[in-house]
Amino acid sequence: MTAPAVVAEGLAAGYGGRPVLRDVSFSAEPGTTVCVLGPNGGGKTTLFRALIGELPPLAGTVRVSGRPAYVAQTERTRLDFPVNALDVALMGALAHGRWWLPPGREQRAAARAALERVGLTAEAGTPFGELSGGQRQRALLARALVQDTAVLLLDEPLAGVDPASAQLIDSVFAELRDERRTLLVSGHDIERARGYDLVLCLNGHQTAYGPPAQALDRATIEATYGSELIFLDEHGAERAVTVHHHGHDSP
Amino acid sequence: MPSPLDVTDLPFLREALLEVMLLAAAGGLLSAWVVLRRLAFFSHAVGSATFPGLVVADAAGFSPLLAGLAVALGYAGGVERAGRAGREPSEATALLLVAALAAGVVLASDVFRSGAAVDRLLFGTLLALGPADLALSAATATLVAIATVALGRTWAAIAFDPDGAPALGLPAARADFLLLALVAVAAVAAIPAVGALLVAAIYVLPGAAARLVARTVPALLAWSAAFALAQGLLGLYVAYWLDLPPGPPVAVIGSLTYALIAAAR
Repeated sequence: MTAPAVVAEGLAAGYGGRPVLRDVSFSAEPGTTVCVLGPNGGGKTTLFRALIGELPPLAGTVRVSGRPAYVAQTERTRLDFPVNALDVALMGALAHGRWWLPPGREQRAAARAALERVGLTAEAGTPFGELSGGQRQRALLARALVQDTAVLLLDEPLAGVDPASAQLIDSVFAELRDERRTLLVSGHDIERARGYDLVLCLNGHQTAYGPPAQALDRATIEATYGSELIFLDEHGAERAVTVHHHGHDSP
Repeated sequence: MPSPLDVTDLPFLREALLEVMLLAAAGGLLSAWVVLRRLAFFSHAVGSATFPGLVVADAAGFSPLLAGLAVALGYAGGVERAGRAGREPSEATALLLVAALAAGVVLASDVFRSGAAVDRLLFGTLLALGPADLALSAATATLVAIATVALGRTWAAIAFDPDGAPALGLPAARADFLLLALVAVAAVAAIPAVGALLVAAIYVLPGAAARLVARTVPALLAWSAAFALAQGLLGLYVAYWLDLPPGPPVAVIGSLTYALIAAAR
């Protein structure tokens, strides 16, 4: 059995004072996709910040194999920043060290390849702020691809993203999974979560972890989302839908 | 009205010209990073915060540059610590700024009775720029240029995505503190010429104006350096012509440049 790529044991994390998130214990093998579900303020971003080592655990431990790539929510990256899509992808190369040197030919080639993979070849020279929401998210994904890590953490990469971009992003996720990389992807969409290998539900604490078929039962979903939840009973099968808010998930 | 040729015939003006060009080089590059990292308010505050140190140094007869440097670096450290503790950085900046200015005023008016020196400290002078002032400006310009080359990619990546930068393995906290410290040193270097209250004219305005026209970071640096040189030379000429300290005309020209570009867009 291979060593897990991400492990948390009894993790509690927060911003000084009371933990925002506690009792988180899970592990993910290489080549698995984990959907991190939870309401706004449920601790999804806090978990990611603990996994990148920015928030030291208040209790318990975390272990990630290598340094993970992290795509924070786009709302918080600035739209008037003077960079184009290629510049953004190139930022990923900084993770390979030698940050004091200008980008070399190999780094540029890697950045262009990553842009091609996320379907932004034609937009390489387009200013970041002039890209659509979905294209911006894909440029940030390209930055993570250039980083070339075993573990990728993506905070609501599909929030406010057009369906075509979402489909493209999903197919890149599938490729990354096939490359034996581990993905933790946060989101609100319970239906989409069913397409992942594992689901981690957070609402200030861990409410469930496991394959979607087991983790996403009605009791867990209610414990995770509480009053943010609406159940739809159309076509016989019961379907849970969360009330969606954009960009209010921090911390 | 003097012709531009007369200007270089006067020794004190030659020194002022050199000082303005050195500060333009430092300010042109640094102000680009200041606006990208959103440190405009900090740059203004760090200059003003040196005021009590300058008053004490002036009265006690020790080097105002060293006193200013000590206060500015202490101030940068304080703001950085406050920011790390999760407090809103602009609130910490404002609080420390007001406290420093008030302390300076009390010291200048009631303790040391500094008189005319206060004007010079707050608004700068064309005259009496010594070799030490020029040396500090030259050192600052060199440091800023080296840092821009070596740290430019890192600063840009952090400024673009502060939340994501730690995951790139960048020494974000150290790079940030280095930028704050450089701004502090640069502010002190600019005080003899433009005064403690107007350092933002050099370390914010060129970058802010360049931000309106530049679409890449290298273009931002180039535009910012060009604006800094233009406002410095023009400001110096106007200062000499109207018998003003150079700080105010540089500030007015820089602000007008920004306003005109913003209006034309």
